[in-house]
Amino acid sequence: MKSRNLSLASVCGAAVLVTGVLFSAPLVSAPLGLRAQAQSASQAELLQTTVAQYCVTCHNDQSRRGELSFEGLDLSDVGQHAAIQERILGQLRIRRMPPVDRPRPPEETYEVLTAWLASEIDRFAAANPNPGRTEAFHRLNRVEYANAVRDLLALDVDVEALLPADDIDANGFDNMADMLTVSPALMERYLSAARKTARLAVGEAPLGPAGEIYEVPILLIQNDRMSDDLPFGSRGGIGIRHYFVVDGEYDLAIGLHRNYVNYVRGMGSSHELEVRLDGVLVRTFTFGGEEPDVLQAPASYGGNQFGDPAWEEYMLFADANLRVRFSAEAGPHVVGVSFVRKFTEPEGVLQPRQSVFAAAINEMRDGDAAVEHVTITGPYGPGGPGDSPARRAVFTCRPTSNTSADEEACAGEILSSLARQAYRRPIDEADLRTLMDFYRAGRNDGSFDAGIQLALERLLISPDFLFRVEHDPVDVAPGTVYALSDLELASRLSFFLWSSIPDAELLDVAERGMLQDPAVLEQQTRRMLADPRSKALVQNFAGQWLYLRNLRSVVPDAVTFPEFDENLREAFRQETDLFVESLIRDDRSVLDLLGTDYTFANERLAEHYGIPGVYGNHFRRVQLEGDLAERRGGILGQGSLLTVTSYANRTSPVLRGKWVLTNILGTPPPPPPADVPDLPDRGEDGQPATVRDRMIQHREDPVCAACHAPMDPLGLALENYDAIGRWRSTGQANLAIDASGQMPNGTEFYGPQGLRTLLLERREQFAGTVTEKLLAYAIGRGPEYYDRPTVRGITTTAAFENYRWSSIIVGIVQSTPFRMRRSES
Amino acid sequence: MIITKKAIPRRTMLKGLGASLALPLLDGMVPAFTALRDTAADPVRRLGIVYVPNGMMMDHWTPATEGIGFNFPTILQPLERFRDQVEVLSGMHGVDAEGPHARASTRFLTGVASQRDDGSNLKAGISMDQIAGRVLGQETQLATLELAIDGRDFAGSCDEGFSCAYTNTISWANDTTPLPMENNPRAVFERLFGDSGSTDPAVRKARLEKDASLLDSVTDRARYLSRQLGSTDQAKLDQYLEAVRDIERRIQMAEAQSERELPVVDQPAGIPDTFGEHTKMMFDLLALAYETDLTRVATFMMGREITGRTYAEIGVPDAHHPISHHQRDPVKLEKLMKINLYHAELFAEFIARLNSTPDGDGTLLDHSMIVYGAGMADSNSHYSGDLPILLAGGAAGTGGRHMQHEPDTPLANLHLSLLDKMGVPIESLGDSTGRLPLETLSGV
Repeated sequence: MKSRNLSLASVCGAAVLVTGVLFSAPLVSAPLGLRAQAQSASQAELLQTTVAQYCVTCHNDQSRRGELSFEGLDLSDVGQHAAIQERILGQLRIRRMPPVDRPRPPEETYEVLTAWLASEIDRFAAANPNPGRTEAFHRLNRVEYANAVRDLLALDVDVEALLPADDIDANGFDNMADMLTVSPALMERYLSAARKTARLAVGEAPLGPAGEIYEVPILLIQNDRMSDDLPFGSRGGIGIRHYFVVDGEYDLAIGLHRNYVNYVRGMGSSHELEVRLDGVLVRTFTFGGEEPDVLQAPASYGGNQFGDPAWEEYMLFADANLRVRFSAEAGPHVVGVSFVRKFTEPEGVLQPRQSVFAAAINEMRDGDAAVEHVTITGPYGPGGPGDSPARRAVFTCRPTSNTSADEEACAGEILSSLARQAYRRPIDEADLRTLMDFYRAGRNDGSFDAGIQLALERLLISPDFLFRVEHDPVDVAPGTVYALSDLELASRLSFFLWSSIPDAELLDVAERGMLQDPAVLEQQTRRMLADPRSKALVQNFAGQWLYLRNLRSVVPDAVTFPEFDENLREAFRQETDLFVESLIRDDRSVLDLLGTDYTFANERLAEHYGIPGVYGNHFRRVQLEGDLAERRGGILGQGSLLTVTSYANRTSPVLRGKWVLTNILGTPPPPPPADVPDLPDRGEDGQPATVRDRMIQHREDPVCAACHAPMDPLGLALENYDAIGRWRSTGQANLAIDASGQMPNGTEFYGPQGLRTLLLERREQFAGTVTEKLLAYAIGRGPEYYDRPTVRGITTTAAFENYRWSSIIVGIVQSTPFRMRRSES
Repeated sequence: MIITKKAIPRRTMLKGLGASLALPLLDGMVPAFTALRDTAADPVRRLGIVYVPNGMMMDHWTPATEGIGFNFPTILQPLERFRDQVEVLSGMHGVDAEGPHARASTRFLTGVASQRDDGSNLKAGISMDQIAGRVLGQETQLATLELAIDGRDFAGSCDEGFSCAYTNTISWANDTTPLPMENNPRAVFERLFGDSGSTDPAVRKARLEKDASLLDSVTDRARYLSRQLGSTDQAKLDQYLEAVRDIERRIQMAEAQSERELPVVDQPAGIPDTFGEHTKMMFDLLALAYETDLTRVATFMMGREITGRTYAEIGVPDAHHPISHHQRDPVKLEKLMKINLYHAELFAEFIARLNSTPDGDGTLLDHSMIVYGAGMADSNSHYSGDLPILLAGGAAGTGGRHMQHEPDTPLANLHLSLLDKMGVPIESLGDSTGRLPLETLSGV
């Protein structure tokens, strides 16, 4: 750390200069050249007169509409008023101001002023870079903690059980430094998480057997192979990735679905139920189909009448003996519980699929039996820690003898290596001394392993592990812009792309002081993007940006949408996950998010979308043609997004329109007033009205129109998708859907395809939105006005590569706010 | 698709076996500790705040008459059986009569009206429960307990221009540190009773000692790091140090109280499937924390502000927040009413449990003051003028009345008076203008 400060202090000024030239070049050479500079004076004048003529009516010292006054401001003085100028630029660019019902300047003025303002602000920013300041202590959020443990200890912990979720900021991300606070309750969880994690990693035998229950939701229909971890030709059940804490014997017990009077389902025919460990058959159970016909079933299933005792026993206790004991080695293993599929169809009239209420209560004697839960308990009997992946990662050496010198040498080797990775920097003597103290305390109470375990606990609650630390170089003047150290940069990079700690290569490069070299930085960025760990961008960045994380908590109204089952929920998630991942992996254009000719689907999803020829439960890439490409190509046609932007029982064009404005166009509407008048659900003629008709008021009432005119049409264009993303041609009261829209500027469009075209015409704006969100996510603080020039610069450059994901990501990594920081002022 | 523990949370929940943690059986279910401290003359008082989101149907909340003998309106009816232990306070008011949802939750216990901020800054004020905890926490293992029903794991914005932190909690450690509220009963249980799974006092004691030395060591390290930082960068590290100190204090307390016996309780497995079960379990844990005197101060959000929870179990499949903007639609009003009533029923069960738990010479309810209410009166208009506030329990000397306070009486005034009753007098809190005269009301 000492050497870094020295080197920084000496190169600090130089680094700023170099960066200004190297990375801000696109900003300087943006739209206007030298000739334009000559015109600058007249454009500055144009700005002043335009503001005086059109804006000051509302934005003056008295009215202060939008808490903004232009009175007495020399707005042409760039740099002086950059914050206000960015606001003006933002409003002019989307033509939101002046309001449509007020006098507006001619279109040409808009064009001239937006171009000029952007270039002036960018020019000033290039000469005076302002990287902003991410808080010095940036706590790892829950996902980052789990990933760090995974990469450090080769251990997948159940982090949702270990740690609470983190708050998201106003822009929707949970990795913002300011938001990641620490409380006593959280600290206790960290202490407990460290204890549990260290115990698992080292493989300490638990005090006694413990159990875990894996429940299968009742609405997860078990009519097909449920998982790639289950055998072909299987039906239903569950594939569990269970962590066996030590080598030993474990008990597995299976509970079956029951109906509301507690009779096990599907007892009318026989079933074979298999238990497999890592694909190898452990045990086959058979049950059902043996109903003794001399016995009486109850006259009714009302719950107050009973059949013969033997019949009751047959129906009630079919799963009582579905248990098996087996031995397993320590570490993660796949436990499969599934039925052998019967390739016969029942005779008689084809019954509708049972769902929701019916699924919960019906007898279903002739239906499929289904697994309700699986319990794994253990270990029983003495068991050693075994040879789990975590132990292999931790115990990189074994003491060559029992002498304390040999043991300490090995402990030192293990702990130095773990601490360097966990703290993401070279460790010093004090770091190692602390850990060795705990090693010795643990060693004295028990074994070598116990010593390592206690030291590991200490490591996992260390502020050096729990926080990313960025601090100002020694003796730097307040408010100085300086380049981050190689090590700080390495952490930023790995937490951005992987939501995790740097790997050995990145750390090596950083320790050798090479990461600030733009070529090396780019090379590392591309290497890391290609690594599977960059899936974190899909799960964390896209998951939050696109609201996909909400998918697991949406509860579509069961009466309106009885078709919605857990299989569909899971399919929605998979589709978008795979789709976004494919865009990033194949380095396609971010624009493809809005429209492509392919998606990913399994049978359940294909059925929902009306895609023919997709069978089975596994996901595969599906080529879309014709109508299907228009309907399902791109995120706007995916069930995940369409469902999370709907209410439980109906669509909401407002929610969908708002989502597009916020997350695609980057122009979120202001918050709605509280007491909005009701939208009548009947037209003036007393007949039921469509959503569209009801929303006409949004456009007719000028108070509503200011926000709703640009918002509602975007959502109405998606009205052909119902609240769970199904295509429909009629909506409320069976009235035909009219998916036409008109933007405030008169642009007309129709349906999802029209919306897509409209949005792609604003590709620069869309790419700018992605860039701004991704930049905030990358640097861990909310976007500020002084980040706008960076965003414009990256977007402008990326345009030459058709906005490939890598062009934006590399642009961010090489940008001023990512590589630099402003010292405390 | 593989269903792991993480695949479909909420539904495919990883659960422990729900085995009893066989702590030694408690004699007569009264904490042995009680005898030392909790005398008839000076009973231990408990403070609780139970918050419900998205306003209240005030027409069915506010009693028609003032003083004693009022009729319980529909929403309050579940509490009628505790008439003498329940006081309804009308006229309580925040700073501005109107404001967004995020302000309703933030202001409830802080008296500070939070402002919109599109960046990622947090700003409010310390909440009254934390003030109480600072003093009362010196006698209990946990200074305060913060509970919730909703998780924080979702995407999108909560209230426009506000971090979700504003709507996810009512408890603030200071003006920049919102305190997360725990919604997993298992985590709450482990916080109260430990996660060792062992009953052996020696094991627990050894564990506590280990924890203490671990914490000592990280404190040293954090102090070292702290010296290298400028003042604004200190804040986060200070939080960390504060948190560590809090746990160290708790460990000392736990060691001192290691002879105390705790009741046998069922270890909750995870988050129950339905809102009702979940809420009951959280209330049970809260009652248990009071009963065992592990804490005397607790907050509980039965829903995060602006929550869109649906209540299919009571015939309301609609999202709460959207229907709370009811626009006077009778169908929505009726559904809203069902939700308000359901919340009150669950709260009444908690009050019943406190009322049936002996404590000193009376019951836990006798020695508690539990505030129940919302940070908004009418969600439809974001109106926070006349808040729905109710005070249950006998510890404040209140009950049996409906008190109409002067309009514009800040809710923070009530907090000052409650803090007085808890023996933690302070001069002011947020927008407080004085104290609410609770004393003069007793015996009316």
